[in-house]
Amino acid sequence: MPAIEAKSLERTFSDDVVAVAGVDLEVNEGQIYAFLGPNGAGKTTTVRMLTTLLRPTGGSARVAGFDVIDEAADVRRAIGVALQEAALDPLMTGRELIRLQATLHGISRPEGRRRADELLDRVGLTRAADRRVGTYSGGMRRRLDLASALVHEPIVLFLDEPTTGLDPVSRKAIWQEVSKLNDEGTTVFLTTQYLEEADQLADNVGIISAGRIVAEDTPARLKAEVGRPHLEVKIAEDEHALATEVVARFGQPLPSKDGAVLVELARGASEVATVVRALDDAGLCVESLDLVEPTLDDVFVAKTGQHLEGGETETGETEAIPAP
Amino acid sequence: MEAATATASRELTRDTLGAHAAMVWALIARAGNEIVRVPGAAIPGVLAPTIFFLGLTAVFGNLTELSGFPTDEYQSFIIPVSLLQGAGFTGAATGVNLARDIEQGWFDRLLVSPAPRSVLLSGLVLSASLRSLVPAAVLLTIGFALGVDWPGAGGLLLALLLVMGMGTAAACWGVTLALYFKTQGAAPLMQAGMFVLILTTTAYAPLDRLTGWLQDVAEYNPLTQVVDAMRQGFVGEGLAWSETWPGLLVMAGLVALLGAFALRNMRRTSY
Amino acid sequence: MTPAFLRANLNVIGALGARSVKQTFRRPQLLAPILVFPTLLLAIQTGGAGSAVNLPEFPAVNGFLDSMLAGAMIQSTLLAGNSGAIAFAVDIEMGFTDRLFAAPISRFAIVLGRLAGTFVLGIVAAVWFLAIGLIFGASIEGGVGGALLVIGLVALSAAAFGGLGAAIALRAGRASVVQGLFPLVFVILFLSSAFFPANLILEPARSVADYNPLSFIVEGVRDNIVFSPSLEGLAEALGAIALIGAISISLTVLALRHRLRTGG
Repeated sequence: MPAIEAKSLERTFSDDVVAVAGVDLEVNEGQIYAFLGPNGAGKTTTVRMLTTLLRPTGGSARVAGFDVIDEAADVRRAIGVALQEAALDPLMTGRELIRLQATLHGISRPEGRRRADELLDRVGLTRAADRRVGTYSGGMRRRLDLASALVHEPIVLFLDEPTTGLDPVSRKAIWQEVSKLNDEGTTVFLTTQYLEEADQLADNVGIISAGRIVAEDTPARLKAEVGRPHLEVKIAEDEHALATEVVARFGQPLPSKDGAVLVELARGASEVATVVRALDDAGLCVESLDLVEPTLDDVFVAKTGQHLEGGETETGETEAIPAP
Repeated sequence: MEAATATASRELTRDTLGAHAAMVWALIARAGNEIVRVPGAAIPGVLAPTIFFLGLTAVFGNLTELSGFPTDEYQSFIIPVSLLQGAGFTGAATGVNLARDIEQGWFDRLLVSPAPRSVLLSGLVLSASLRSLVPAAVLLTIGFALGVDWPGAGGLLLALLLVMGMGTAAACWGVTLALYFKTQGAAPLMQAGMFVLILTTTAYAPLDRLTGWLQDVAEYNPLTQVVDAMRQGFVGEGLAWSETWPGLLVMAGLVALLGAFALRNMRRTSY
Repeated sequence: MTPAFLRANLNVIGALGARSVKQTFRRPQLLAPILVFPTLLLAIQTGGAGSAVNLPEFPAVNGFLDSMLAGAMIQSTLLAGNSGAIAFAVDIEMGFTDRLFAAPISRFAIVLGRLAGTFVLGIVAAVWFLAIGLIFGASIEGGVGGALLVIGLVALSAAAFGGLGAAIALRAGRASVVQGLFPLVFVILFLSSAFFPANLILEPARSVADYNPLSFIVEGVRDNIVFSPSLEGLAEALGAIALIGAISISLTVLALRHRLRTGG
């Protein structure tokens, strides 16, 4: 049984805004699934429907085996949620917050105390545990939010943009924690606008744009779909012709860019050493060499014509080369 | 792995009455933080009914000169109104706080937990009910110091009971509006609603001394029964059951009605 | 002070004034205290205490409503001053005022802009309550001239109270602090003849009301509605407004200097 299952999930708001236009997805137990998309794509709306905060206006969804509409209470018992706003009460201490969460889940007082100590230690907040949340930094609040989502050992964990606005160190800390949780068997559904996050963490990535999933697969397969890695060889202008001849033996030459000769490597990155040797044998002087892998942004551009990060509309060349 | 994790979740969490009571208490304690941990924040709300009491007594005190006024101490006449106003403000403030919690996303945290909606509501309104006693205590202390007649133990108990009822009803009203509008911009509506309900009764003068439209409205306003019931101890000869039960019934009915609206809106938060 | 400089600053005052009026009309929590609450209170107090006209010492009036309109208007202007102060404090908290301070405009123009908005709200309040009065059977003894005097006095007092509010906002810098002063507005109103003739108020409030500048303003406005305009009443009202205005200007200057010097 999948941990999360959605069929034609839809949400239209009262002013006829279609936020989610029919989403189908399936997340197996023990997976990390990343929902990748720009602001306004429908990520948060989808998460809110899966966590019973918002009623779908069409389609259906099941989480941990329970229907999100008819068995909402059962869903809530099985899930942990850390939302985009990291909504915390600034007047409470970290410890009080986790214990409140424990009480709301019906956990007994002594058990709640024990869990609080354990979780605060796990996310590195033991020293700050008895300070008011209002004094915490952004990174500390996210860690506390994550800890409080775990108090009842949920089957499925929902994280809505867990690292937005955090510095790189805090971001890495959250990633480590999420990986560890997943290793322990928790299914994780996270939404993000960061390519690296989806790439690093996820078993499966769903790319959402304008309320629809436009691509869904493992990060590697998605990237392979839009192209193979290409090599950029920076070389003197007068040696371009010879260089192109040499590299053509290893794959399809591409239009040159910024004084570099480009070639799509037919057999991937493993060819790089061979190409370098061939160029050297031909007596050519290579200034620099760059291996460019396709990114999830390239996937996004291929599917939607727009970039994911920066949100610019594609106007001219891109680094992604459509697969032949 | 799945079965083991599922069982762990189930064993850890309980869905019993005891667990629900613990949830309600935890929410009341959290609401108490607003008063205890933010020094001075509660003072305007606690003092406002007393300020109105003093002001109205000073300004309209000579209305007792009118023939047919049941007392010549206006402060005794008006104190039930001020007590109810204090409870009304406190309840409305609960609604405003909820609207703020909704705007800031804190309320989602409560909604996503397995705590039943009725338990969440109980936590909110019971905290208001208890907090209503704070402005009431201040008001009664100052009132007695200024010569308000002692209402007797029964009268006092009745007054406090009705104050808590009013606090509960006002909180249900505030919560209903907060869940509907989802913004603190609805605060004036929360406050005005209670304000109007309480003052369009025999608040300023006995029914036959009210003029114009107010006399008609006060006659049919159910809260007039509450004001009159509370007034028995402070102004009248003492408590009579025939004057008391209508007030209790109205208060129970108001709590039931507004509570039903609040619970309905609580359950429809995902719409 | 060149004509160009004056023109530029007048434009700023106009623009900021228009902004603060629009803000008020767009946010129910700012508009309600100015029109809704005082109207409700007027209706309730007229019905509740209306029998007071039968008291032997009550001044001869056409109706209780006639004598209550002035109090409602002044209550409205005090609350407009409070609302304006809250909005100003929010601007300060959000950093919008810093943006204005950094612009090449006079600092006083920034404050005057807010006061211009409050002045307009005073006009709105006066017209509103005159209309309510006429609809519900009151009569304006002073006629059209009296009505214009009413509007003028109410608008000027709105600006004066707005100045006090601006001073408080500049000094406090936080909306929550300013909001806490709301009950104080009612204390001042109760200690004046806004809601009831001074001669019928109980001591010790009565003694305070006799000397409260607010009472002079209320009486000045009331004269034009209930009686015929009197020069003495007008002079006293204008004097009281001038007094409050002078105090608020001084406090505003001090608070502005403090904020610009310390940034807080």
